[in-house]
Order: sequence, then C-alpha cells, then structure tokens
Amino acid sequence: MSTLTPNQWQEVSPYLDEVLEIVPEQRSAWLLSLAEKDARLASMVRELLDEQQQLKQEGFLERSPLPAGGARLVGQKVGAYTLVSQIGQGGMGSVWLAERSDGRFERQAAVKFVSIALTSRETEERFKREGSILGRLTHPHIAELLDAGIFADGIPYLILEYVDGVAIDKYCDQNKLDVDARSKLFLDVLSAVAEAHANLIVHRDIKPSNVLVRNDGQVKLLDFGIAKLIAHEADASSAPTVLTMEGGGALTPRFAAPEQVTGGTVTTATDVYALGVLLFFLLTGQHPAGENTHSPADLVKAIVEVEAPRASEIVSAASDSAEKRSTTREKLRRQLKGDLDTILGKALKKNPQERYASVTAFADDLRRYLNHEAISVRPDTFAYRTAKFLQRNRMVVAFTTIALALVIGSLSTGLLIANRERKIAERRFAQVRQLANKFIALDNDIRGLPGSTKVRMQMVSDSQQYLTSLGSDVHGDKDLALEVAYAYVRVAHAQGDPTSPNLGQFTEAEASLGKAENFVDSVLTVDPNNRRGLFIAATIAHDRMSLADEQNRREEMVSWAEKTSGRVDRFMKLGNIDPKDVYSMGYFETNAAYAYDNSRHFEEARRASQRALDIAQPVAYAHQLDGPILGALTIARWQTGDLDGALQTAQQAVKLHETQAASGHASLRINLADMLCIDGVILGKQDAEPSLVRSSDALTTFDRGLDIGEELAKMDPTDYLSRRTVAMIGLEIGNILRHNDPQKALAVYDHALARIREAKTNTSTQLYAADLLAGSSYPSRWVGRDKEARQRIEEAFQLLRDAHEFPSDKVEPMGRAYNVVRASADNYAETGQTDKAIVAYQELLDKLMAGKPDLQNDLRDTICISRTWTALANLLRRSGRTEEAERLEAQRTDLWNHWNGKLPNAQFLLRQSLSQIAPRTAVRDLAKR
Amino acid sequence: MRRVLDAMQTADPSISTLIDLAEQGDEVSAGKLFTQLYAELHRLAKRQLARQGEISISATTLIHETYLDMAEQEGQSFPDRGRFMAYAARVMRGLIIDHVRNRLAIKRGGAFELTSLTTDVGEVTSDDQELTRMSHALDELARVDSSLSQIVDLKFFCGFSFGEIANMKGLSERTVQRKWEKARIYLHRSLRADLPL
Repeated sequence: MSTLTPNQWQEVSPYLDEVLEIVPEQRSAWLLSLAEKDARLASMVRELLDEQQQLKQEGFLERSPLPAGGARLVGQKVGAYTLVSQIGQGGMGSVWLAERSDGRFERQAAVKFVSIALTSRETEERFKREGSILGRLTHPHIAELLDAGIFADGIPYLILEYVDGVAIDKYCDQNKLDVDARSKLFLDVLSAVAEAHANLIVHRDIKPSNVLVRNDGQVKLLDFGIAKLIAHEADASSAPTVLTMEGGGALTPRFAAPEQVTGGTVTTATDVYALGVLLFFLLTGQHPAGENTHSPADLVKAIVEVEAPRASEIVSAASDSAEKRSTTREKLRRQLKGDLDTILGKALKKNPQERYASVTAFADDLRRYLNHEAISVRPDTFAYRTAKFLQRNRMVVAFTTIALALVIGSLSTGLLIANRERKIAERRFAQVRQLANKFIALDNDIRGLPGSTKVRMQMVSDSQQYLTSLGSDVHGDKDLALEVAYAYVRVAHAQGDPTSPNLGQFTEAEASLGKAENFVDSVLTVDPNNRRGLFIAATIAHDRMSLADEQNRREEMVSWAEKTSGRVDRFMKLGNIDPKDVYSMGYFETNAAYAYDNSRHFEEARRASQRALDIAQPVAYAHQLDGPILGALTIARWQTGDLDGALQTAQQAVKLHETQAASGHASLRINLADMLCIDGVILGKQDAEPSLVRSSDALTTFDRGLDIGEELAKMDPTDYLSRRTVAMIGLEIGNILRHNDPQKALAVYDHALARIREAKTNTSTQLYAADLLAGSSYPSRWVGRDKEARQRIEEAFQLLRDAHEFPSDKVEPMGRAYNVVRASADNYAETGQTDKAIVAYQELLDKLMAGKPDLQNDLRDTICISRTWTALANLLRRSGRTEEAERLEAQRTDLWNHWNGKLPNAQFLLRQSLSQIAPRTAVRDLAKR
Repeated sequence: MRRVLDAMQTADPSISTLIDLAEQGDEVSAGKLFTQLYAELHRLAKRQLARQGEISISATTLIHETYLDMAEQEGQSFPDRGRFMAYAARVMRGLIIDHVRNRLAIKRGGAFELTSLTTDVGEVTSDDQELTRMSHALDELARVDSSLSQIVDLKFFCGFSFGEIANMKGLSERTVQRKWEKARIYLHRSLRADLPL
C-alpha cells in the first residue's frame, strides 16, 4: 500500500466519482464490468473502496481535532435562547438549561442537542418541518416544543419548555398516592396523549422519565414525537430506534410495545400500550413483563410472547409497593382486581387491534372506574386498521376515511346506548368537529407534499358534499350550525387562502365563506353573545378581507377590515378569552392593519396596530404577533411622517425576528421580512447569523410567496398580478441568494424574468425586468459568464430607456435606475476596469445628489448615498487615489456621526445594512402581502 | 510611474484585492493574504473573547465573525463568503495546527483556546505531528484537486456542515459529500502509507 502519485490519482479520480454514486450493493457488478476493460484500474478502485470501508470504521476525520467546547457552550445562543448550564446528558445528547436572550420573558427552556449529526439537507429540512408540526402541539399537560433547528456541525437541537418536576413514578411514591389518586393523575397523562393523537402525532417513547410532575401536581409530558424526529431515515419505524435512542448501550426497551420491538408499524396503539405499561407500573410497582428478565433478549421475548399478568396477582409478591400506595397489600389486591385488571389487560394486548382503539377510550374507561360506573367491555367493533397513522403519503390518501373512522371509533366504545337518535346526532356532530380539526392539521401537513393540490381538491369536494347534506340537517341546532360554518371556513381555506398554497379558486372560496357567514348569522341573531359564533364571525370577516386584498378589490377589502375590527372587538368584550383565541384575534387585527396600510389608510392602520398590540400584549402566548404588528405599525408611522417612531418600532421588530419560531403563518413572516427589507436589516442579519438555518428561514418565507405566485401564474396565463408577484419576490430571493449560491440565484432571476415577460408590456414590467437583469448580472459574472453579464446590463439600460426612466439628470436613491447603473459600475470594477468603474460611480453620485436627497432626515437616502460613497472610495483606493478616497470616507463619517446623534442606535442599523436594500417601490408593493 | 510604486508600497491592499489577485495565480499576493488573514483571525479571536470575558472560542464561530467583520469594513465589494472561505479555511488549518502544537505551552492572558462546537463532553487528544503530516498531504492534494482539500479544511478544521459547504461552494450537497469521501480516501492513504509495515 503506497501513496498515490498525482498521476495515479488523476487517473482513478473520475472512476471513484462514479462508483461512489452507486449504491454499495451494485458496486461489485460495476467493478466487474470495469475489470473487463481495465483490470489494473479496477483493482486500484477496489483497493480504495476497501480503504474507504476501513476508514469509515475508524471514524477517520469524523471528529474535530479541537477539544469540545462543551463547557464553552455556556452563553451560546441557540435560537432565541442563551444557554445557561448543562442539566444532563440524556439518551440522545446533552440537555441544557436556557433562558431567553432578550430577557423579555421569565421563561426558561430546556435545550436538547441531538447527538446525531444530520448529514443531508433533506434530513435538515425534514427535521425543521416536523419540528414545526410538533411545535403546534399545545396542551396544559404537554411540555411545549418552542423551537427546533440546526446548530453548528449539523447538530439538531430542540428547545422545550423547561419543566421543573420529577418522574411520575417517583412523584407518586414520594407523595404516597393511593390507587385512585394515581389513576386521576394518569387521566391528565391520557388527555395529553389524546391531544397529540388528535393532531396525528404519536409519542413513541412514553416512559416515566418523559412524564414529569411539578411541585404543584401539574403533569407535563415531554418529547412528543421526538423519537421519530431523530430517527434515521432508513429505519424510520424499526426497532433499532427504540434501542439505540437509549444511548446505544445495552438498555432495555422496557416500555416498548411488541410491534416496536419486532419492527412493525408504530401507531397510536403503540402509545396505548406504553400507557398501559406505565399505568401498570404506577399501580403495582412492577413492570408487566416481570422482574425475571435480565437480558434484553429476555425482555424482548417477554414483551412479544408473554401475556401480561393480572395486576392484582402481581401485587401479592410485591414488598413495599402497598405502603407507597397508602394501603395494605390485601386492600391493594382487592382494589386492583376486577375493573382495573380488565382495563390494564385491554391496554396491554399484544395485538394492536385488540387494544383500546384510542386513548380517549382508555381514559373514558378509567374515568368510569373512578366514578364507580360500569366500564365498557365491548370488543372493538371498529378494527384498528382504519385508524393507523402511517407514513405521511399514505395518510394523505386515506384522509377522509381515517378522520371519520377515528371519530366513529372513539365514540363507539364510550357511548351508553340510551337514546339511539341522540347517539346518531352526537356522532355526526363529532364527525363534523373532527373534520374541521383534521383540516387544520392535515392541510398544513400536506402542504409541502407533491400532488397536494389534487388531494386538497379531493378533500374539498368530499367535504362539500358532506357539508351540504349536513347543513340541511341543522334544524336550529346552534352547535351544529356553528360546526358547519367552521367547516366551510376550512373548506374556503383550502380553496383560496392567499396566505397558503391554495387552489386559487377565489370565487369559490368567497362563496364558501358566504355560506359560512349565513350559518353563523343564523346563530348570532338568536344568541348574539355566542362565543364560538363571534369567533367564527371574526374569522370569516378576516378571511374575506384577505380574499378581497388578493383580488385587488380595494373598497371591499377596507369594508371587511372594518368589519373584522368590529367583530374582534365584540369577541374580546366577552372577556375570559383563551390565550389561543387571543392570538387569533390579534392576528386578525394585525392583518386588518396591513390591509389599511395597503390601501393607504395610514391613520386607521396605526389605530388597528395599536388595537392589535393591546390585544396581544397581556398574553404571553400571543407574543409572536409582536413582530408583525410592529411591522404594520412601522409602515404606518413611516408613511405618516413619524420617522423616529418608525425606526423605533423597526428596531424592536428586528429583535423579535429571532423569536419567530417556525410557525405555520407564512403571511406573518412574509410581512415581517418585507418590512425589514426596507433597511436591509434582515438581510444583514442573515449574514450575521452563524447558523444556516436562520438565513434559510427568510428564504423559506420568500419561497412560499414565490410558490403562491407561481401557482397562480400557472393557472391563469393572463394573470398579471401573479407574474408581478413572481418578479418581485424573485428579485428579493435572487438578491439574497446570489452571494451564497450564484447558480441558483441566476435560475431564480431568469425564471422571474420569463414570468414578467409573459405579462403585457407596460412601464411597470419594463422596470421590473430591468431590475432583474441588473441583479442577475452579478451571479452571471460569478459563475464565469462575463460576456453575458455585460449583455444583461446593456439590456437593462435599454429597458430603462424604453420606460423613459434613464438616462436622466437625476437618479432616485435605491430606484431601478440606481440598481442598473450600480450593477454596471460593479461589473466594471469586478472585471478590472477600475477607471470605467470610477467614472460610472462618480456619474451616479452626481445624479443622486441632483435629486437632492435628504441626508439629514431620510435614513434610506442616507444609507444609499453612504454605500455609494463607500464603493467609490474603495475603487479610488484601489487605483491609488488615496486623498479623494479619504475625503469621501470623511464625509461618510460625518454623516454617520450626525445620525448617531440623531438616533442612538442608528449606527447599529447602518452598520447592519451591508447587503442589498430593496428599492422603495418594491417595498410598497411587498407590503401588500 | 513613481506614483504607482508609492501606492503599492504604502497602500495596505484590501483583502478583497488580495483574493482577486491570488485567484488569478499571484503567489506573492497569496502569501500576503495568508499572513493577513492569520493575523486577522488572531486579532479577532482576542477581541471577541475580551468582549465576552471568555477564554475560548470555537473555530467555526471565529471564522464566521472574521468574515463578517471584514465584510463590514470593506463594504460592498468584499468577496462573497464562498470565495473568502476558500482562503480563510486554509488559514484556519494553519492556526489550528499551531494551536494544537502549542496548547500545552499556553500562558493565560496571552493566548486563547480554540474549541469545536460539538456538545459531547468527552475530551479529544490530537496529535500535532499527525496533523502536520495531514496538512502536507492536503497541500499536495490541493495541487491535484483544490476543491477536495478545501472541503477538508471547511469540514474538518472549520466545522462547517455539508449543507453550509454546499451553499458556499455552489455545489449540491451530494457532490460535497462525495468529494469529502474522496478526500478522506486520499488522506487516509497518504497518512497510513508513511507508517512502517
């Protein structure tokens, strides 16, 4: 074995490329075919592949040569939090205590690092996406997942609500809780898991250490769905995840269900099993598989083959378990015998289909036991096969049947057969409710999936049929009427919610909302203070406002904005509002503010923003609205001439940007991104963020906007609005991307260009095209297409001429002409034609100044001039004209000092605005979103 | 003529200029670039740490902060991250190897400690001799295929993820991973070949 000579390496390198792309299983075949052509080469490649195997086993170069900064992590920022101290080393990585970096709330969090480096962009994306799904799980007994992201080195992290408590079994023992008390506590656990299941999230790893109880007796479940989140792609549902998760040691899967251990599918029934084991343990002090299992193999065998013993019988052997349950051994045995035995037995069935069909059913029986009622002993009539929560694509296809079947299933085992008609009505009622809820979860889930439009359409037409028939059954039943109304709202969302991928069927969406409104009206006429009715009414007004905005029906948008504010006000006056609803109301009012901004009713916008702030302020849950609210307020203040106020709110909004966890509200983030484009702060911040996740956040925001535009554009070959949107956002994305990914940026620019060219030619399209061409000249050059770069610029100039924008005596700061001239000058500079570049910049400056920019009062103008000076100064230095350069730099310093005095943190803002600043006109357009 | 000479001697060439020149093959500029970047990294590390009252900084953070700082100073025409990192990562390699070598001789208050951003608590002992041999191997590899050595610098020494590297270099992540594997094979071969049988 000897070092490869450069020649040998050159020779073998392309073959290595090829073979490394092939799956390992097919490599021998490939090698054989190569051997036939050139045996020597093939043997070299084979040798190197063997070497690769070896070095993989050695972990060659896997670990950094530097010592871990473990302790040094103190003070590191992770998401919106700062690490305080390490609190443990869990099975999957270290756990840290953290607090909010901006000190805004007293909130503490637990940051879990997952010690598996995610090795591909796809897994990173999936991690973030699933993290955002889990983050939507809110329940008093579930430790909230606050954020999920990727730290350095591809290490994922999870930020969870910090729970100061002990494991549930310890808590029960410490407080010597008796059987009934333990069961009651357990009901909280069940309600938490039920909520997760309703959101189609399976926990997969329920065990005492994941069920904590605080001092005040509050139960909190941890780590929902996290096992899946970090499971290796290859073995998503296989046993190794359960075992290896536990630190890879020889730890036993004590709470694993048979199907987990044998590599079967994991479903909600798996959670039911784990819950059964947990309850068994809490009530008896023993594991159902017994204490005789010493090796993992024994345990596995016991789990899979041995039927769980009766709880009552186990007790006879136990020692101090009775004492811990404040009772005697005999009493305990008697208490467990009968109903509890049966309940546990059902939860612990080996066959998932024989267990409780749902956690709710489990809870119902347990509750009945506590109330001394008869428990259900009926066998499952609705086979579990209909309620499996499978891999996402299968779930999508079976959506409707799953939703309905699940509902039916959960009702069946519970209801007493008292009144047959009542039972049917309740069933349909629950179906509708579940249906509406499923829309929420599922629509978000399937958003990113290929073919989701088709599914959405299917969903919509299924539901419409159902709702029409149901609607005619309402007969003055208020609750049912409201459920139908809400379901129509959800259908309208799928048809045409402008803030999320939709079918673009705006007219149909409007019609659905109209239907929804009718149903709500019928209730509110009779019962004006109906809480749910008022909530839905506000939702409808808000959605109709958004639709009007999207379709550019300005007047109607304003009138719906007024109605929205009015209904929000009525709802809030009811008092005692749930935090989640406060958030919704705040959200509605915020969008009303944006609507006013877009229609230039700035005074109203200011007032609406203030109202939104008032609504959201007292409720911690709604704090994530602060950013967008401030965004609306900034624009309003700006436009009404309150520059100081605008800057103030802008700064506040910037700080909050970091706290925008990956929420599902694309519109909020687009608005924030838009507004902050004004000062380039957000883009500047992108460069300042060490983790790639953050910068891609902003891009994701734009990407979504682009998707919307694209979908609309494809659907309607003549639609201008969508094309303008694509151009506008394409410009933003291109500007962000070009520094890091010039190839992709170029593609984005060109695509946007193509789109805008499809639209009818007018001044606006010409200017957009010019802007795009100018922007694309940078990446064009950076990927080596020099000639083309210059051609793009020339074309841009031509378009400016056609639009009568340039040549002219004056140039508007950050305007289209500015961008094109700048691009031209930069192009000269980058291709070594320094003199031409200098001349171009000097001309640009002259024309900028001719427009008399207000350097004393207008920050944007200032930033523009400052940056132009800097660019020119650099060029002058490069060609040795140091004195002139210094003069410019002195001017710039003076300017900064002036602003520093004017607004204390202006320098901070100025220094941050390194990257592109969006042209003024584009910003106003952006604000429309 | 005279003016140009003065300019070249007195003007402190900016990093962006140096990178431009180095990219065009100017060895002298490449050398100057190396020296300047090395000094910058050092200076910045100290400044960062002084600010936070710490004595250690991770290589990844350091190189990020350096880029930001320099980009801010030089403004718009500063090269993008990809081009900067190609050189800075090489410098970081040098810095790390020197650091590992001198670690035992560090006097408090004078130098700083370089760490990685991993969260495991286990200690890692590096052999500075092996690292030096690796560095030579990398320089040789750079002559044959510079993108491979760059990726090793970026991943192994600077601690960037595949995704970040892909972004910086304008490659697909798959390609980056493949190059990484190739580089590893090459290096492994180089290092093991020197060992006695």
